[in-house]
Amino acid sequence: MEMLSMSYFMNNLVEIPLIQPAIDYLLQIPVIGYIVALLLWKPLFALIFFPGLVTLLIVLLFIIWFERKLTARIQWRRGPLEIARPVGGIIQPLADGMRYFFQEVIVHRDAHRPYFLQFPILIFIPVLLPLVMIPAGTIVGIKTPYALPIAVAIISLIPVFVVAIGWASNSRFAYIGTVREAFMYFAYEVPFIISVISMILIYGTADLIEIVNKQAIPGIILNPVAAFVFFIAMVMATSRLPFEIPEADQEIAFGPFVEYSGIMFGLVMTIAYEKMYVMALLFSVLFLGGGNGFNIAILGDLSPTVWLFIKTMVIMVALSFLRSIYARIRLDQALKFSWSMMMKLSLLSLLIACIMVVV
Amino acid sequence: MEEITLDVPVSPPTEMFMPIPKKFLERAYQNDDYLVLVGPQHPGSGHMRIILRIKGDIIVEAIPDPGYVHRSMEKLAENRLYIQNIPLFERPAIMDTGNMTLGYVRAIEQALDIEVPERAKYIRMIVAELGRIGTHLYDAGILAVFLGHTTGFMWPFALREPIIEALTKISGTRITASYIIPGGVRRDVDLRTLEFIRKVTFVIERRLKSFERIFIKNPTVITRLRDVGILSKEEAIKYGVVGPFLRASGVEYDVRVVEPYEAYDSVNFDIPVADEGDSYSRFLVRVEEISQSFSIIRQAINELRKMKEGNILSDQLAEFEPSKSDVRGYFYRIFGDLILPRGEFTALTEASRGSLLYSIISDGESNVPYRVRIVTPGWYYLKGFMESLRGERVADLQAIYGSFGYFPPEADR
Repeated sequence: MEMLSMSYFMNNLVEIPLIQPAIDYLLQIPVIGYIVALLLWKPLFALIFFPGLVTLLIVLLFIIWFERKLTARIQWRRGPLEIARPVGGIIQPLADGMRYFFQEVIVHRDAHRPYFLQFPILIFIPVLLPLVMIPAGTIVGIKTPYALPIAVAIISLIPVFVVAIGWASNSRFAYIGTVREAFMYFAYEVPFIISVISMILIYGTADLIEIVNKQAIPGIILNPVAAFVFFIAMVMATSRLPFEIPEADQEIAFGPFVEYSGIMFGLVMTIAYEKMYVMALLFSVLFLGGGNGFNIAILGDLSPTVWLFIKTMVIMVALSFLRSIYARIRLDQALKFSWSMMMKLSLLSLLIACIMVVV
Repeated sequence: MEEITLDVPVSPPTEMFMPIPKKFLERAYQNDDYLVLVGPQHPGSGHMRIILRIKGDIIVEAIPDPGYVHRSMEKLAENRLYIQNIPLFERPAIMDTGNMTLGYVRAIEQALDIEVPERAKYIRMIVAELGRIGTHLYDAGILAVFLGHTTGFMWPFALREPIIEALTKISGTRITASYIIPGGVRRDVDLRTLEFIRKVTFVIERRLKSFERIFIKNPTVITRLRDVGILSKEEAIKYGVVGPFLRASGVEYDVRVVEPYEAYDSVNFDIPVADEGDSYSRFLVRVEEISQSFSIIRQAINELRKMKEGNILSDQLAEFEPSKSDVRGYFYRIFGDLILPRGEFTALTEASRGSLLYSIISDGESNVPYRVRIVTPGWYYLKGFMESLRGERVADLQAIYGSFGYFPPEADR
């Protein structure tokens, strides 16, 4: 029972000088103190607050609103405005989510009912699991020397679930969308993994905490080619334009997710954004130095968290910008691009890594 | 080896209405082809069904199934007065009202042998060209949204707004103005309106430059459109393609030049022609036509400035109505009981999407047409559109559709 004793958590608490007196006071109170200690225990803090659930929710709400607003501004429109007018309609995604929640979930006759309803929920496993591997300073869910391969492996599982969703939907558009998703999956996966391997070679370790510590020079300067390949793979993996091929709504009406309605559609719609968040976190850890940045003394352990968050948001904003400037390219063109151009570039990044290791 | 079976509750529909001959279905089945029915409610098809026979990802054959927005314009026209048909014939292509009415009105003028005053000719030309710019912008927007480029959709639609504003200042209505009437136009245009229209051309021209950067020269757009849906010169002529799509295949044919009407012979403009005949050149030709239209409008405005205001309705109309001094009911007294002489009168117009043919047949005694035949450009190039799909990928259907700017309400009439 030593594992559950309060002193076990007390050894490994998140220290925030800004609100330390309040925390100290709360820790004195019997039951609340235990809960506070549990929440501030670093592994659980990583899981629940950053980079885990709470931040994920905030990011989801923000990025969906921001993408719509940015696109609207570029297109001479106003974007979401009516809900919470003083703050520019920032709670629009929340309102949409509520609407989804109260809508009927229609399961059509031809669908494979159990899988059709299970997969949108099961897909959260591969989406959320990589988050515990990603370190923000000393805050990390699971410390392991194999953090990077595990995170990449779990991220690679997401398309399998999307394919399963399309299969369970059992409709023509979902079928075509699923096949397209599978094609895209193979196309970006290989260059993506090669670029990650080249970074592992450069840092000489797969432990994300050590990778962050070793980045006196950010990885994007050490190997810009790998960063570029990773970025494009990120665009492909999250089905952003110009690679919005599996979900092309003018061609196949939202692809694998065409049959979903109500809260189930709300869930599958956010998958791409969650994937984008996870991959952007990985990008900032691998190439932008993760939580590195000058220390903000008053935030204590939260200082790297803030830096990592800012870097991730910059990546996500850059990704949402793509939507308003590119058209969708064809599947065969995307495949040709990734199997020739991206493949060459990823091999080049591997070569750069080898040279750097040898020299 | 053990066979793996999955117990998935799938059974193919046994009795299903197929809008195609059974023979065709069987032939496709024997050749191991897929049949894909696109439309008529599909987000990327408009109000038309396209039946695609597909081998793998390649379109072997495309059969159109138009008629979903057929409004029997020709039959309706037989029960209306000649003047009442003008608002009716604006409806096929809502953005292109100037050209649409111009053709009909010219057929009537031809029948009555009316000479239109010079000033009215120039005003009509301005209205027609504004409509042309509006339609081309509209089609560019639809093409963009087919390619998933939402900015390319929003900008042209916003750019249409100044044009509609100009049309409002000319005629008093945003879109369906019924502005062009036999013998001239309904209202005169003053100098301030002319200045406004001139400014509008410059505003749109400037904005089009940024549109060019984000959409026309966008690498992803070029990748999607270039070498897709090619119609060679011979094919384009053979399948009777018209308008900018014919010119994109290298045929230099424009009704405005070949058989000039209105004041087109007194203004200078080029006919943009491309040789490739692919989707991208079909789009570029129309983009170039927009700038030619600007030039035509500016020249017309310069001419109009020199003219005296007021002379916008033909004097010959007075023959039908002696008391011109009484303004009230003048319009109705002239046109209310208009009877065309016996015979068939045809007018060919260059509408924004191509040649537009009106043919009025009159029996010489009733005040409604005996028969009006309209052949809209959409109907002309539907065959060429379907032929250009042959051999392309399914995903290219939307790109080719957008590059033709096919507008079902116009084709179905």
